[in-house]
Amino acid sequence: MNERAEAATHAWRRRMADGRAGSIGPVTTVPRALLAIDAGSATTSVALLGKPWKRWRLLGSLAAPAGAPVDALAATLAARLLSTDPRMAVELSVAAESVADLPRLETISGPAPTLAVLGASRRAVGLLESVAARTPWRIRTASPESHDPREMTELALRPEVSAILVGAGDPPGPDERGWLDDLAGLVGAATRRRPELRVVLAGPVAARAAWAEGAGRPFDGSQERIVEGPPLGMRSGPDEPLREILEGLLPNARGTRHTAVRALLSLADALDRTVELIDIGLDGGLRAVASPGVADQGPAAVAVRTAQAALVPGDVDDAGVDSVLAWTTGSLDRHRMGDRLMDLRLQPWADVSGEGARLRLAATRAALARLAAQTPDIGAMPSPDVTIVAGGAFAVAPARAVALALADTIRRPGVTQLATDHARLLGPIGTIDDPDERRDLVADLADDLLAPIGSLVVVANVPSGRRTATRVGRLTLDGDRNGRHDLVAGEVAFVDLPPGDRAFATLEFRDTVQVGHRARRVAVPVSGGVAGLTVDLRDVPLRLPERRDRRRAALAAWGELAWPGDER
Amino acid sequence: MVSRTDAPSRVRVADAPGLELVSRRRLLLSPIDAFFRLHPGDRSLVKEGEAVGRGQPILEHYREPRTVVVPGQNGEGNQPAPGDRWTAPGGRAAREAHGATDGELLFRSGGRWRVASGERAEPLESPVAGVVHEVRAGAGVTIRSTANAIVGRSALAGPSWGKLQVATGPDGELRAQHVDVGMAGSIIVAGARMDAEALTRARAVGIRGIVVAALGIKEQRDFLASERRGRAAVHGLPPFGILVLDGASRRPIASPLMTLFEAVEGGVVAIVGDPPALVIDDPSVLLPSPAGDLVRVRSGPLAGAEGTWAGLAGPRRFPAGVTLEAAFVRFGGRPPVAIPIGDLERFA
Repeated sequence: MNERAEAATHAWRRRMADGRAGSIGPVTTVPRALLAIDAGSATTSVALLGKPWKRWRLLGSLAAPAGAPVDALAATLAARLLSTDPRMAVELSVAAESVADLPRLETISGPAPTLAVLGASRRAVGLLESVAARTPWRIRTASPESHDPREMTELALRPEVSAILVGAGDPPGPDERGWLDDLAGLVGAATRRRPELRVVLAGPVAARAAWAEGAGRPFDGSQERIVEGPPLGMRSGPDEPLREILEGLLPNARGTRHTAVRALLSLADALDRTVELIDIGLDGGLRAVASPGVADQGPAAVAVRTAQAALVPGDVDDAGVDSVLAWTTGSLDRHRMGDRLMDLRLQPWADVSGEGARLRLAATRAALARLAAQTPDIGAMPSPDVTIVAGGAFAVAPARAVALALADTIRRPGVTQLATDHARLLGPIGTIDDPDERRDLVADLADDLLAPIGSLVVVANVPSGRRTATRVGRLTLDGDRNGRHDLVAGEVAFVDLPPGDRAFATLEFRDTVQVGHRARRVAVPVSGGVAGLTVDLRDVPLRLPERRDRRRAALAAWGELAWPGDER
Repeated sequence: MVSRTDAPSRVRVADAPGLELVSRRRLLLSPIDAFFRLHPGDRSLVKEGEAVGRGQPILEHYREPRTVVVPGQNGEGNQPAPGDRWTAPGGRAAREAHGATDGELLFRSGGRWRVASGERAEPLESPVAGVVHEVRAGAGVTIRSTANAIVGRSALAGPSWGKLQVATGPDGELRAQHVDVGMAGSIIVAGARMDAEALTRARAVGIRGIVVAALGIKEQRDFLASERRGRAAVHGLPPFGILVLDGASRRPIASPLMTLFEAVEGGVVAIVGDPPALVIDDPSVLLPSPAGDLVRVRSGPLAGAEGTWAGLAGPRRFPAGVTLEAAFVRFGGRPPVAIPIGDLERFA
């Protein structure tokens, strides 16, 4: 950010704060436009926001491969505004030459750092890994049962390892006792050799005499880089305390997936709706649910950020390749799919059209499945009013394909309105620290921020007919000229409902089904979008045929509804 | 050092509006900090600030590493620290008792040290001339070289050095039957792709390295498995490295890179793994730079094609119903074609 942009950002924030405090400051010219920048690992997105009248509006957005200069993107946006609405550009003082000096809301995301997870037994490592997997850290695990001390030391000393999580039960379990002293000595020695290494001690590791032998001094809590956490429990329990510690160690605590949750809180508050955000990016994913406040309570959110939900894992292995192959309908073998995924990892912004778009969405489904597996607590919640998808994985896919990808992987009976953060505004808006200021901006921008995809209705417990294509019910939309639509068990139906339209959908079944609650007849409000209304009557959870050809045939049949025409 | 480059770009980015939005690929890097990994137990043979020449041993690693347990010293005095070297006390009987003669102290627990040691120490020779920038026991040695380096995407095995030889055209594929012993001692530019059989043969005939546009995941795994077997054998393996320029799917070598290889052909070059690069030691070589408005299609139906920048095209609809920011590219004398910006790359 240049100096003038920085000064303008401070001035704008001061002005916003003063305005809310009711103070009357000196009359100065305050910019009525600003830039929202989301610099991700794969692409950089710049949005131009302006306040032409009383409200902030989105004037345009543009994304380019990561590394593209923000000023060049902003200048292109300014030039487009000048060519389409020169009067507004002049009113807002937006010009290609000076747009780089506008105030900025900026988030920067980098590659996931690496965390070494060490335990005195496989069981202990497994427990720690299950917690660390629900953080943005990329994980490498080792225990004396699987690695010798030299290999474990090598892992701890690797330049790419930024932190170590080491844990033990309190008291240590029988499987840990034999190795715990060695582990304490090993980690203590690593802290001595790498003064920059951060360490989380989950359990009484530093209390062992070997810790002092390795580290050269007893642990007294005076070193800020060594943090104590809760010990391992025998049973799985809430993992928030340890996750908070691990997230606190991340070098970039203001990354897009952190700040977006703050913006999500403001959005839930402004819309007075429960909102879920699902973000799949190159280096990780986010799933968060925010609920509006009740009475004096403010809005609340539950969020899980995980590197496991990266679009393409850092190491393309057989399991990763198979997970994507499971969602493809083409004839790629495992090696060629591996090649494609490696290329996608190296050049995530490239090959986005044609077959590349289908491959990308297959990888997105695999990532969504991993995200769902890491977030059973969120999955068990009721269906949110609005589901927002964000991140490069969804940025360029056709709307129906996005709706189908979500329906394939996030199997939660109920109704939700789907939308996309198309201009990637949630992250940058979340950088505003003042919740009132953030809420005001979100309330102004809510209509522009979310591009409606449509509504998704997932129906569970649909009785399957003995024959294929058995009609199990019907759907009626208020005011729909096409009348009633037959509903067939095991299928997905897309019904046109244009953006901006709202309707009541009445679903009537012969037997009791589950759409949020169990009933034969359900009437739910739905809203339109580019994809319209999607009604999913497949099994919850989704059961695909075991045989590869049948599985592909099923995926191809559903895909034909979602992908436009023969354009491949 | 000021790199010598030929023919400044005809068109600057500032003269081609929108070209900045295209992903920029850096061709040359100078100076380069080449990093060589030290595993626990490995020994650095150089010190920080020391000048090293090509072929000089810089570190020694064990081909059969293992952990040994030795009693620690008690009482006051100069206590050893993790990372220090350990040498077995004198006397054959004592050495046989430890099963090792020297190693690196890992950690102390219960009054005993765990030591990373091993058998059959093997030196690693520096592939480039430079100055030792950093030595970190158990982590690595960094050598800073002022030479120019051609940057690739990834490197396998290595490091290695030899005379550069261009064996095929940018779109060619070097087959096993075309790999002959006359190429021994060279680093070969092998075109668009190479299969595992040709790689194995290349190593067998004494070729020192391969530069290739793309190497599939299967070929990489087969090669690395073969490498592991070879390293475990009694006599080990001579240095051999592979530099991958683009990725995994087949595509021709970009013309600016090919021009660089042709300019350097016959000279001694080195493959280093971190960062993955081909280091050109000879400072007298005149390195050509590409035209500023040259763009290359990285992926999609026109992958590998190169043309000149003809301006932004705005959002366009492409196959599979996706709408993408596009740019016009002129291929030869034909009318400009709209290509997604993400599928393009430029060179610098």
